[in-house]
Amino acid sequence: MFERNFLENFDWWLLIAVLLVMAIGFINLNSASLAAGYPFQWKQLVWYGAGLAVALGSLRFDYRSLCPYAWHIYGGIVVMLILVLLIGKTVGGSQRWIPLGFFNLQPSEFAKIGMVVVLGSWLASDDKSEYGFFDMLKPMVLTMIPVYLIYKQPDLGTALLIFILSCCLLFMAGIKWVTVLTLLGLGAPMAPVIWNMLKPYQKARVFAFLNPENDPQGSGYHLLQSKIAVGSGGLFGKGYLHGTQAHLNFLPEVHTDFAFSIWAEEWGLMGSIALILLYALIIQRGLHIAYTSRERFGSLLAFGITSMLFLQIVINIFMVLGMLPVVGIPLPLISYGGSSVIVTMIGIGLLLNIRLRRFLFQQ
Amino acid sequence: MKFKLKKKKISAARDASMRLKKFDVPEMKVNYARIKAAGFVVFLCFVTLIARLWYLQVLEWQNLRSRSETNRFRQVRLVPPRGKILDRNGRVLAGMRPTFNLCLIRGEAKDLESLFKKLSQLLDIPETSLKIRFIKGKSLPKYMPVVLKRDINWEQLSKVEVRLHKLPGVYIEAAPGRKYPEGKLAAHLIGHLGQITEQDLVKDRYPGAVAGDLVGKYGVEAKYDKILRGVYGSRKIEVDAIGGLNRVVDQKPPKPGADIYLSIDMDIQRAAEEALEGKVGAAVAIDPRTGQLLALVSSPAFEPEAFVRGLEPDEWKALQDPVLRPLFNRAVQGRYAPGSTFKIVTAMAALGEHVIGAHTTFKCTSTFKLGRRVFRCWDWRGHGTTDLYKALVESCDVYFYNVGLKLGIRKLADYSFKCGLGKKTGVDLAHESAGLIPTPEWKVKRFHQKWQGGETLTIAIGQGYTLVTPIQMARLISSVANGGTIYRPQFIDQIVDCSGRVSKSFQKEAQGRLPATSYQLALIKKALLGVVQDKKGTGGRCRIKGLEVAGKTGTAQVIKQAKRRMDEKMAWKYRDHAWFIAYAPAKNPQIAVAVLVEHGGHGGSAAAPIARQIILRWHQIENPRPTLSPARSASLGDGLDHVAKRLERHKGV
Repeated sequence: MFERNFLENFDWWLLIAVLLVMAIGFINLNSASLAAGYPFQWKQLVWYGAGLAVALGSLRFDYRSLCPYAWHIYGGIVVMLILVLLIGKTVGGSQRWIPLGFFNLQPSEFAKIGMVVVLGSWLASDDKSEYGFFDMLKPMVLTMIPVYLIYKQPDLGTALLIFILSCCLLFMAGIKWVTVLTLLGLGAPMAPVIWNMLKPYQKARVFAFLNPENDPQGSGYHLLQSKIAVGSGGLFGKGYLHGTQAHLNFLPEVHTDFAFSIWAEEWGLMGSIALILLYALIIQRGLHIAYTSRERFGSLLAFGITSMLFLQIVINIFMVLGMLPVVGIPLPLISYGGSSVIVTMIGIGLLLNIRLRRFLFQQ
Repeated sequence: MKFKLKKKKISAARDASMRLKKFDVPEMKVNYARIKAAGFVVFLCFVTLIARLWYLQVLEWQNLRSRSETNRFRQVRLVPPRGKILDRNGRVLAGMRPTFNLCLIRGEAKDLESLFKKLSQLLDIPETSLKIRFIKGKSLPKYMPVVLKRDINWEQLSKVEVRLHKLPGVYIEAAPGRKYPEGKLAAHLIGHLGQITEQDLVKDRYPGAVAGDLVGKYGVEAKYDKILRGVYGSRKIEVDAIGGLNRVVDQKPPKPGADIYLSIDMDIQRAAEEALEGKVGAAVAIDPRTGQLLALVSSPAFEPEAFVRGLEPDEWKALQDPVLRPLFNRAVQGRYAPGSTFKIVTAMAALGEHVIGAHTTFKCTSTFKLGRRVFRCWDWRGHGTTDLYKALVESCDVYFYNVGLKLGIRKLADYSFKCGLGKKTGVDLAHESAGLIPTPEWKVKRFHQKWQGGETLTIAIGQGYTLVTPIQMARLISSVANGGTIYRPQFIDQIVDCSGRVSKSFQKEAQGRLPATSYQLALIKKALLGVVQDKKGTGGRCRIKGLEVAGKTGTAQVIKQAKRRMDEKMAWKYRDHAWFIAYAPAKNPQIAVAVLVEHGGHGGSAAAPIARQIILRWHQIENPRPTLSPARSASLGDGLDHVAKRLERHKGV
């Protein structure tokens, strides 16, 4: 199918960056698992393998063949999200997982990549050069249905992430400046209404974020401990497996949301910057692929996937560094979680796919 | 080539079916601009991330590093076991016992309000007192136990223990506590512990102690607090987030306190206390050969353990009783006129100044006139022709009026000081009183009045302004007994540190000599023996079969003679203080005793029997009946109890 140009067109940099992040993820989870008291690293290794298989296997199919199935995908997402509200497994007060025996499916993760494909496909076929207020109603309605369902779980972080993701795609598809300003003008008075819709624990998190020292035993505790962990790492870190904050359980969720803190604690500024540079490389490749794609769907899809990865990386690390309230956004390929790894790798696979087929229009 | 063409056709058809759109050139440009804008945002975000990392990991590193260390490490103070206080034979007077503290672990408790209510009902402790301790402990980590109530008793312990499963967060902590197995025995000497006060902490009177600690407040417990307390140790532990112990990082073990062996003999002490039971007074027994205290009693006494457990309000009120003053150590703090016991000093002065000789006599007609005033002898019948021997044995006042008049106040005061009166004995106890030896200068200073000749007469027989403490008199009689050497009274026999090494052992310390030659002393001692042994002697009630006891009675007037009525009819507080000072055996003195009974009446009738009981107990210890004491071994007291039991059984048969 693409034998001749494969080696040339394949984005080796992206694959190398992804493999290196996976390596860091495994090393880091090895330490985090010790702290958490459960061998997550081996399960994660299986997910890495499965993710790579999905990403590389999907290269056989042209990404554009997804286009006609956009509505099926959308329907699937909505059904799964309704299902999770009905029969989902509740952990820590939120109903996010559908138990499938061998693993717990997290539909909200799949909703991220799903919405990118659905909106990308819709915007590509809609094909307007610029979007005004009323042109945006339809994609917004499309977005708000899964966002509401995810918010109901409740998973405010992911809901917001998908909403912002849609905004990114609209930006890429072209949005009028006037519309942006109008929306901001309309949105500002809505802020108190949204604030009132938040659950008490969510409000507490925001307060804790604004003033973490105020209640070091309560909501601010996690943020404070995470900051202490990162900061105490210093330039070169405390050494692998020697992160006291993580291994003495001062850090919460050390294998999932706060995986970056243990990395920063044990490897210091050097390790943190290395990981961030790898992520930067992935994002740069993603934007490059969006740019080099000669076709609207591919470009939107690549941009959407890149946005998805970027938003998760930045929100997660900002949170870990105490610059955002605690929200349940995983760090791609570093946080433990099957759904997250598979979704990330589907995204990476699509990016590679788009890159691989960027010349198919040039004749 | 062929393959490629075919492929193109297929894909073109598919492109049409997918209505996919290829960008034209202007669209490419717009697309590029947007991606560039997005790239700029991405760049800014990553730069912010790295800047934040730099801030946390480089600029704030030291601060956050130390916070991670404080997270991790806890300094735990290790309290050493307090040293024991024992008697000269190693019997425990103050030791350790396990106590149980009621604790609460905040992190495990569920409903605090109802928990406090339940505990308060269960233990009959006011809810507020539990809460106060709890609030004070709130600064501690969640999983560190807060002590709600110290030293709960067995009944409370069993009540809580049974219901522990219904009281989440409550737990019982075992801790070493102070125990006084003999109760009130030697309470004034041993002293007591007490909660460290804020002032103690501010002034750092007890280095290393923290709020809530029990520290020595009185007696040996206070004076030797540092030695008994030992040295605090510390343990640096690494804890995890919930306060659980991860590992011990560093440890400095505590050094247990040293054991203090007192020179007190528990049996003699107990005999003295039993003899003084129900009376207000003091008794001091000294080994005249060394100055070691064998017993030191002040009655009434207090319960040292009550201070450890915390005094109830009515207990505290009882300790503050203005007449009984249980916390007042009469043996070293009480000041009393010496009464006729002072005649020993007067006699010594008279002999020393050659005012009299052994055979100098004065005629006692029961009255003595000085100017217009008439001074009386205690015996209205008079003693007739009296020499020194008779004067001491029968305690003739008129004889000593004559002697005192010849000596003058200055000589009397001079000899008093030389006998160690009017100044502290130097016994190692707080608040010792110096007593008072009056001189004309003192009177001018104190009352702005001239010394009257008649006052010298009252001083000569031990009444008037003169004030002495029981321990001073004990030292005086022991000095007489040992042939004139004044030893400092001491009560520490030895101090044995935790490794069994004797860090301090008793050394006798001579403070001076009595102002008398051995001939003069022999004259006095002969008379003192007569006081007890002669038929007419005033101290006959101290006579012990098979033991020669020598002594001197004393009756200290509380109010002036003119106002006196018959003793029995007088109110208790106006009655005379009774004195008796004695030693035994007369030829080779090994115990010297001073007894004072406040408002006891005559020394011969009130104080001498008490001294007798003390000396008798000493005599029994030294000379056990050989046939009845095969069980006597190291523990002398037990052996004697054993003897007593046997005797009773014999009676029964």
